[in-house]
Amino acid sequence: MFAFLSRRLALAVLTVLAAVLISFLLVHATPGSPGAIKAGASGTAAQIAQYNHELGWDLPLWRQFVDYLADLLRLDFGTSLIDSKDIGADLAARLPVTASIAIFATLLSGVVGIVLGVTAAVRGGRLGRLITSSSGIALSLPAFWVGILLVYVLSLQLGWLPATGYTPFGDDPLGWLTSLALPVLTLTVGGAAIIARTAGAGMREALRQEHIRTLRAVGTPEWRILYVHALRYASVPVVSVLGIQFIALFGGSVIIENLFALPGLGQASQAASSSHDLPALVGVVVIATIVVVATNLLLEVVVAALDPKVRTS
Amino acid sequence: MSVLPLDAADEVATEPVPAAERPARAAVLKRPGAVLGVAWLVFLVVASFTAPLWRPYDIDAQDLAHRLEGPSAAHWLGTDPNGRDILSRIFSAGTEPLLVSTLTVLVAFGIGIPLALMAAQRGRRSEQVTSRLTEIVMALPSTILLLAVIGVVGVKIYLVMTVLGVMISAVVYRIMLGVAQSVRQRLYVDAARVNGLGSLAVNVRHVLPGMATVIAVQAAQLFGIALLIQSGLAFLGFGPGEPEPSWGLMIQTASQHIYDAPWLMVPTGLVLAVTVVAVNELADALAGKATAEKVVPKRRTRLVSSSTWPAADPDAVLEVRELSIAVDDGPQLVTGVDFALRPGRVLGLVGESGCGKTMTARSLLGLLPDGVSVSAGSIRWQGRELVELAQQLKGIRGREIAMISQEPMVALDPMFTIAFQLTQPIRRFRGVGRAQAKTIAADLLRSVGIVDAERVLKSYPHQLSGGMAQRVCIALALTGEPKLLIADEPTTALDVTVQAEILSLLRALVRDTGLSVIIVSHDLGVVADICDDVVVMYAGEVVESGSAAAVLDEAAHPYTMALLGANPHVPEGVPVPLRLASIPGTVPPPGSWPSGCRFATRCQFAQPQCHEPFAVLPAHDGGLVRCVRVDELAHDHVTWDADDTADTVETRHALGERQVASTAPARSETSSPTPPTAGVSS
Repeated sequence: MFAFLSRRLALAVLTVLAAVLISFLLVHATPGSPGAIKAGASGTAAQIAQYNHELGWDLPLWRQFVDYLADLLRLDFGTSLIDSKDIGADLAARLPVTASIAIFATLLSGVVGIVLGVTAAVRGGRLGRLITSSSGIALSLPAFWVGILLVYVLSLQLGWLPATGYTPFGDDPLGWLTSLALPVLTLTVGGAAIIARTAGAGMREALRQEHIRTLRAVGTPEWRILYVHALRYASVPVVSVLGIQFIALFGGSVIIENLFALPGLGQASQAASSSHDLPALVGVVVIATIVVVATNLLLEVVVAALDPKVRTS
Repeated sequence: MSVLPLDAADEVATEPVPAAERPARAAVLKRPGAVLGVAWLVFLVVASFTAPLWRPYDIDAQDLAHRLEGPSAAHWLGTDPNGRDILSRIFSAGTEPLLVSTLTVLVAFGIGIPLALMAAQRGRRSEQVTSRLTEIVMALPSTILLLAVIGVVGVKIYLVMTVLGVMISAVVYRIMLGVAQSVRQRLYVDAARVNGLGSLAVNVRHVLPGMATVIAVQAAQLFGIALLIQSGLAFLGFGPGEPEPSWGLMIQTASQHIYDAPWLMVPTGLVLAVTVVAVNELADALAGKATAEKVVPKRRTRLVSSSTWPAADPDAVLEVRELSIAVDDGPQLVTGVDFALRPGRVLGLVGESGCGKTMTARSLLGLLPDGVSVSAGSIRWQGRELVELAQQLKGIRGREIAMISQEPMVALDPMFTIAFQLTQPIRRFRGVGRAQAKTIAADLLRSVGIVDAERVLKSYPHQLSGGMAQRVCIALALTGEPKLLIADEPTTALDVTVQAEILSLLRALVRDTGLSVIIVSHDLGVVADICDDVVVMYAGEVVESGSAAAVLDEAAHPYTMALLGANPHVPEGVPVPLRLASIPGTVPPPGSWPSGCRFATRCQFAQPQCHEPFAVLPAHDGGLVRCVRVDELAHDHVTWDADDTADTVETRHALGERQVASTAPARSETSSPTPPTAGVSS
């Protein structure tokens, strides 16, 4: 277990390094320079050179990379080329927004998806077919379109939820929850569909296993077979997909944050991307990579805890 | 961009790998959804690429008098905020997503497949290096990295989607590596390699075709994901600039006019959604998933008349009469099976694979597979009819009749400890508390010959050896103190030495507890070793039955003789034969059984009368034999002999008339000292 964890940890660190290196090289491969972006369209050549010197752009590439890594270790992400704000502080303020959407959407997808998937597998028949085919459609729908439809119905027609905007938790906890409701619901449509498929397939596979017949042969009650043994067997793939879901939701938040005007990481990356704010871009990539890597690590630990074969080997 | 798990290598990889040989076209045609999907995709492709030829308006033709309007005769799908025709714009916008998604798929597979083929071929070392690298690529946040690329290079959609293709190639590699490895392990690929085909040729001719279905499924899924990502980028403003239309930007516009023109979100969103649904439907069809999961038919019990038969054997605990088992609305699997079992005796159900032994055994506990049921006959357990009263089975399973199966390693739940799996039924059957159940479990384990019961209780199934797992399975079967144990090939999956131990354990249980046992086996050695009675089955029916001593020593049916002749177990004192007998051909599958003797086509002694229906004859003092020539054969003292010209039944039965030299039938009393080849040469 220890060897396994340390190997995973090493791979995690390598992944983050790779992300930093890729985004770093990407920035340096571009024509133009950060000085030019900072100076804007009206900047003079001297001004650009001055900015570039301040940013260390004239140093050798390896030196800049080492400097950047050293800054990162001190959690210093640099300052924005556009508004000179501290990138680290900005991202730290945005992370909770994106994280809460992704966490709520993952949890809700999990609950709804497992209930639907297990129902489809256990009940079968017309209800099962309905769940299977509608989840097949739901997971194909573009999230931004689902979002618009939900805004139209839940907020414009029924007036139950605010259409856009974000209320910080500190200001108004209830307002915070309602401001998250529509984005979370939007992401849950596709997320729950994927979990429903995984849970349904997992249950069906579990019920085909030889050991289920052994349980029947000793007269085990049906509810026990379904909800203790088969569900436990299906839990490993479901949990794995939930982890992947979380990662996908975290990355996919760009669109949702744009649609619902939420001040999260996705919005920051969109803004940095359209304004060519290079240090901010690198910062978002690094944060997102750390989240992905940490989720993967956590996922491996949870799967190991769930699956005795992994745990005891 | 999309909510779809782009990084979901595991999720995609766990999809069952469909048989490569299955014709994909048939799979698609079977699903109405897939047919509609293909039709829509064809329509979309044609309509998009020909849009400049037929569109009613130019993409930037503004009709300012009719802005944000719903469908009308002039504008079938309405107009946008600039009064531009939505119909013209939707289909004009279709080309780019279709092209860039194709590009993404091509890049991802162009990199992923060659890498996977190479890694599968080169072996472990290089496979590990590539796999670690792809793991890193997969762990990168693809969406945000894509935005970073746009931030750096600008909106060059073909370049951006190529980068996406490179990132996805890691996922493709992961999936394809697994498939390539399993395809390479198939025998014919080995054969091709041994025959000296070059590695490229092996890959192109043998490995790639085997992967075709998986590639098609994955390509369709990736195409859908790429479509969503491209339109997502356009939605964020990273698409073709105005006035060029794009689906994403059109939906973005709709989201801004949700208050004054909600209609705007309908056409474009529907076209995009229907396209992705169509692509995924196609992928599902290629993967061979049924439109919906197969409806499990309710277990039906067809006409059963149990009261017609008087108890033939008053001592029997179990009486099976005229039992038939059939696939619902399908062929019969087992017909007219009769046998009886007395308490404390061991009965062997013998026959080749596919003769219906396991189905017969499982029907006793009502544990037939879905879609298979008892179609006629009766199973009488201690005076109670089990076929008619499925409800009774619940009280009987484990309590009165228990079962152990062929593969002990998969018969136990891998997710729970042995202690959990044993104490649950103990508490239920014996009404004891947790602590006492644990003591009983340990005692049970000791009684099946497990010395360190405490350690085994704490173990998970995968930590046990096969023999140990089978002992645990037997202990599990004994938790309800049953009177009958059904053992389906209990030793087949085990080592020879362990086989002997398990058999002697069963023998000891019968001796000490008065348990009755039905043992299913294809191994006559096992039967000779442990059984009191034997029922020989062939092609779904009983061909011979009686006491073990009688059936094995005076086999009356040619099939029993053949099994004895093919049995490698040679009793002491009999010379080891040079060659074992074999039975030509295979068991005819259900649904293709002849009306006469089902064994006739493979029988050395078959004659024309064998192909006509005939009656079952009593034999072996209470048993039966199903052979029309049984008296002639017995009179001639024939035996089944080893023969490599056995393909000509006609010439063989002539030989059968004579007394043919025996090759080695165990316990055969007709063994002659003639060398085995004499029978062939005479």
